Amino acid sequence: MSTPTLDKIGAELRRGIVQIAALSLLRERMHGYQLVKVLAAAGIETEEGTLYPLLRRLETQGLLTSQWDTAGARPRKYYLLSEDGKSALPVLESVWRGINRSVNSILATDLASVATETGQ
Amino acid sequence: MTQSTRDTVHLWIEEAAGSMGGQATERREALLELESTIYEKIDERTASGEAEEQAAHSVLQSLGDPRAMGHAFMPQRPLLRPELTRSFLLATWALFAVHFVLVIGATLAARDISLPPLRISPIEHPSVMEMFARALEVLLFDAGVMLALFVLRDRVGHRARISFTKRKSIGEPRHHFSNAAFLALVLIVANFLRDNLIAIYIKNGTGTLQIPLIGSGFTDNLVLFNIWVALAIVRECLYGRQAGNLRAARMLDIATRALGIFCLLRIVATQRLVDITGAKGLLGTNADTVAALLNTAFSLIALTTAAVIGVELVRRVFRLRD
Repeated sequence: MSTPTLDKIGAELRRGIVQIAALSLLRERMHGYQLVKVLAAAGIETEEGTLYPLLRRLETQGLLTSQWDTAGARPRKYYLLSEDGKSALPVLESVWRGINRSVNSILATDLASVATETGQ
Repeated sequence: MTQSTRDTVHLWIEEAAGSMGGQATERREALLELESTIYEKIDERTASGEAEEQAAHSVLQSLGDPRAMGHAFMPQRPLLRPELTRSFLLATWALFAVHFVLVIGATLAARDISLPPLRISPIEHPSVMEMFARALEVLLFDAGVMLALFVLRDRVGHRARISFTKRKSIGEPRHHFSNAAFLALVLIVANFLRDNLIAIYIKNGTGTLQIPLIGSGFTDNLVLFNIWVALAIVRECLYGRQAGNLRAARMLDIATRALGIFCLLRIVATQRLVDITGAKGLLGTNADTVAALLNTAFSLIALTTAAVIGVELVRRVFRLRD
């Protein structure tokens, strides 16, 4: 399979992960670029073109709140988990853990033994 | 930071702004956030010893195409969705054809054709240039009318259905509720306009000739039309609620379509649609031939439509019995 195709699939996989990772990290107040760096340090490389629209969408959905800080050298928009976001996060975490468990289980499965068990 | 670097960043930001949709305030906020990030990244690179211009170049390159970035931030919503373009063009050309034929008719007859609230005036001094100019004017007018209708339908009545086409799937609740709102709007507008659509008036040498657009059965048909649309509104609300058993909504769907066929056949049978063309006033001795042709065409369209819907109704009834 070609590298661009693999890159595309990888990016699609990451996009879903970034959502829950960003929500989880934004229990602490952070600006967009700071979040990019924290995610990168945690091993999730994210482009600004993906993260900023995502933050905007989460804010529109009411899961994040934002505030401009103009006190520093340049204005920064800080994001924080909203009250709705705080209630949603445990539910999303539970969904994520469920998916993670299932996918790990599928990846670890010996397909030959499954075929024998199901009589295929 | 040097002016040259600021200009480079500014150009990039301007290009991103050009492909952003949304409100002006939202756009400004998004651009400010983007700009702030760009400068912060440049600062980081220069702090580690990189030349400022080189750092700006690298940062902007890492962000990719500014238009793609702008679009990703806030996608532009086109006035007319691409999937509607074909229908829009077809409808516009059809309206243009009818409109321009009326203009030609008015020019040949050398008098206005009045279709309240519209009035079609003849071309004053017919020449190629005048014809071309009038055609362009008519086309722009018709395109504007159609665009307004399509945008209204798209925004207010998503996938509105008072048509006879088969409902392939149940849509999202918000779509059905917006359909109901659109149909309610149709109901209000149709009733509001009825007084203006009762007759057409053709001015001739001796005064104004009034030709009934639709005859005495009009009021009855309007009542039927109102019932038809009201049923469709209830149907959309039931589909919108999507509450477990959709049998009632499906039955109502069939009732709405059946009433639609009945309305159509009744209009064709009782209203002598051919008279609406005003053919007799414009075409002299050929009027009867044109009238007969139009009458036949209307009848064929009505019968074909009724046959198609009849087949669909039978299929639906059998599916319900399954």
